[in-house]
Amino acid sequence: MEEEIRKIVGDKWVITGEEKTLYAFDGFTAVVGNPSLVVLPGNEEEAIEVIRLLISKEKKMIIRGSGTSLSGSTVPLKGEVVVSLTRLNKVYEVKGMEIEVGPGIANIMVTKSSPQDLFFAPDPSSYVVSSIGGNISHDAGGIHVVKYGPTFNSVISLKVILPNGNVEYFYPTPFLNPTSIFIGAEGTLGAILRARLRLFPKPKAKKTIIGVFPTVEKASKAVVNIFKAGVIPSSLEMMDRNIVEIVERSRFRAGLPRANILLVELDGNENEVKESSEKVINVIGKLEGEVLVPEDDEKYWLARKGAFPAMGVVSPAYLTLDCNIPRKYLPEIMTEIEKISKEKNVLIANVFHAGDGNLHPLIPYDPNDPESLKRAIEASTEIFSLAIRMGGVPSGEHGIGIEKIKTLSKYYSEVDLKVMQRLRNTFDPKGLFNPCKFLEKCEPINQVTRWLWEWD
Amino acid sequence: MGMGLEKCVHCGFCLEACPTYVITRSEVHSPRGRIVAMKLGIPSEGLETCVFCRRCEAACPSGVEYGEAIASVRKADPIKKIMHRVLEDPNLLYASLKIAKGAKTGFLSRVSEFVKEVSPPLTKEDKDAEIILFPGCLTSVLFRSTVEKALNYLQKFYKVKIYNGCCGLPHYAEGNKERALKIAEKLREEFKGKVVVSLSSNCTAHMKEMKVGEVYDFAEFIVKRDLPLPKVNAEVTVHDPCHANLLGLTKYNREVLKRMGVKIKEMEDPSFECGAGGTYFMFQPELSDKIMKVKEEKVKKSGAEVVISTSEACNLALMKYSKVLHIADLL
Repeated sequence: MEEEIRKIVGDKWVITGEEKTLYAFDGFTAVVGNPSLVVLPGNEEEAIEVIRLLISKEKKMIIRGSGTSLSGSTVPLKGEVVVSLTRLNKVYEVKGMEIEVGPGIANIMVTKSSPQDLFFAPDPSSYVVSSIGGNISHDAGGIHVVKYGPTFNSVISLKVILPNGNVEYFYPTPFLNPTSIFIGAEGTLGAILRARLRLFPKPKAKKTIIGVFPTVEKASKAVVNIFKAGVIPSSLEMMDRNIVEIVERSRFRAGLPRANILLVELDGNENEVKESSEKVINVIGKLEGEVLVPEDDEKYWLARKGAFPAMGVVSPAYLTLDCNIPRKYLPEIMTEIEKISKEKNVLIANVFHAGDGNLHPLIPYDPNDPESLKRAIEASTEIFSLAIRMGGVPSGEHGIGIEKIKTLSKYYSEVDLKVMQRLRNTFDPKGLFNPCKFLEKCEPINQVTRWLWEWD
Repeated sequence: MGMGLEKCVHCGFCLEACPTYVITRSEVHSPRGRIVAMKLGIPSEGLETCVFCRRCEAACPSGVEYGEAIASVRKADPIKKIMHRVLEDPNLLYASLKIAKGAKTGFLSRVSEFVKEVSPPLTKEDKDAEIILFPGCLTSVLFRSTVEKALNYLQKFYKVKIYNGCCGLPHYAEGNKERALKIAEKLREEFKGKVVVSLSSNCTAHMKEMKVGEVYDFAEFIVKRDLPLPKVNAEVTVHDPCHANLLGLTKYNREVLKRMGVKIKEMEDPSFECGAGGTYFMFQPELSDKIMKVKEEKVKKSGAEVVISTSEACNLALMKYSKVLHIADLL
């Protein structure tokens, strides 16, 4: 088989031997897999040929993009073949307010390749590298979700290679829209080969307002009150004191005050922005928050977007949760998270999309100390259980991957899961695409996957 | 392990900043992949294909010191070591490039693709010189007229001595760290008690990092001493040499251009690698050509006819498709 693959893509684009390890894990580093082979097809035709060959040989495969998953979606746990689609990064067409791209293109390049007055709205913090194929497969969010919606709202049509080898274009229809089923499927229903995306007009005006709060609770109340005042910000992010301390030790330091920070971005026409900013400033003031209106706001957003990796200054590894809760419970859950941090004796730093209630507790652990990872996993289990009890969902944007498989049985009913399972089986009866992720529960490969997958 | 790589959390923010990743889109030729290879001791091809532009360091939120790590694991082969020696001696470099310029085949013909004109290095030593002008090894023999212009300009205000030699950056980048440290030691002696003005921004950056003395980049010196500048009517785009960019030196080039009234038409990612990478263009011709192609597109898209670039190897790469000038050439 390897020989046949070499014939399709050329020797240079097949990785074997020790170098395969470079594709053994992604942004989720707690579990290291073991690919049997890595292939980097150079274009759509090669990708189709390679995937069809693997299907014909009944070889299991992992479709991978930039490898920035925070839930371990691209970790080859059982010797799968990794098919990297990073080289499929073409822009096929820019027309009206739509753009058609290959799955390997980095998110940031979509806006860069668009007409100057338009932009691609969903921008996860990793947007400088994360690829569109992965963004769609995880319904990625980002800081602009609160106003423009997650990736789901920006996908028009998809070209997909299905697990039976057929290549199909899926167009939107008002009834049983077939495009939507691939969004958030985590690559278990097929591999995305092209995506036609929706572009939004760039706002005429933009403004950043920073709220500085003594307590997380007050900052959380401000989030709720901003909406009550009738404002829908284009982003509304929270950074608690812990993450501010960490970011300020990193390369992306911005000179933030050591406090609990709300970063608010308002966009629209001049008048809208002016009116909204008055309301936001009023809300912050009423909760004893201090207001900063920076001339140059870029460094603050860089600090926000670089906050996850900045964790490297305190720890080489961490878990990133992404449960969503109804906004009104923010003050309550933030207090609870602090309690869990104390009980489990783990540091928890919070930097998240407060505007849409999408939490990101970051829990560092020492990769050389399995006990510390166990404690981090236990703390994360408590947090997402709590979120579900409050009416939230276990994952808002990073996906289930291998990290959150056990949460599904808490969130969905047995019937729900059966229906989803049946869908997966209909598309991929042999389970060839992205096995051991999302809906498929495999035998744990080590103690870490046991902690992740099994309830005590 | 060690090597300061434990700060890497494998986020991948460095990928698209890396020229070899941009053209290959392979983890093997990415900073993140190289870091894994270094951590686990995997003899990956990627360790050799790194251009050593260190743009990944600027993209890294947690501050992984990638450059230092890869400089420590690379081992220069004898050919590279010989080339490094040649760079250290400007007269030998002049003689060697004259031979290489005429080469039609083999390894040296690659040099002849880039080198069009060679001159012997300019020497000058004013009595009681207050300032050392450091052209940089390639500048001294390939861009003699730039050195002349810079000298004439500086002599209006100071007594100047030219120091022709190498800063040791190629040695450091390409697995000859020991020699690089020796060169730094030598420069430290030479520069003691003097103010050094360097015409090659990446050399400036390297010498600053190696702490060889009071070193300024040419434009930095002009701005900090607030030297008078002529008005120049021109429209240019600006290339930011990679290491100078990492140290925040490139803003001075822009400031000097602004003071001269030069109009800047910015290109996309001005600090994106030129493709030359010290002697990289000779040892990795295929990758180097592809990187140059990407850079060429960015330069052409800017719409400017002239590129301002203050690093010698970059200039060689940029000259393949555009008119290139140093700040000093405008004086």
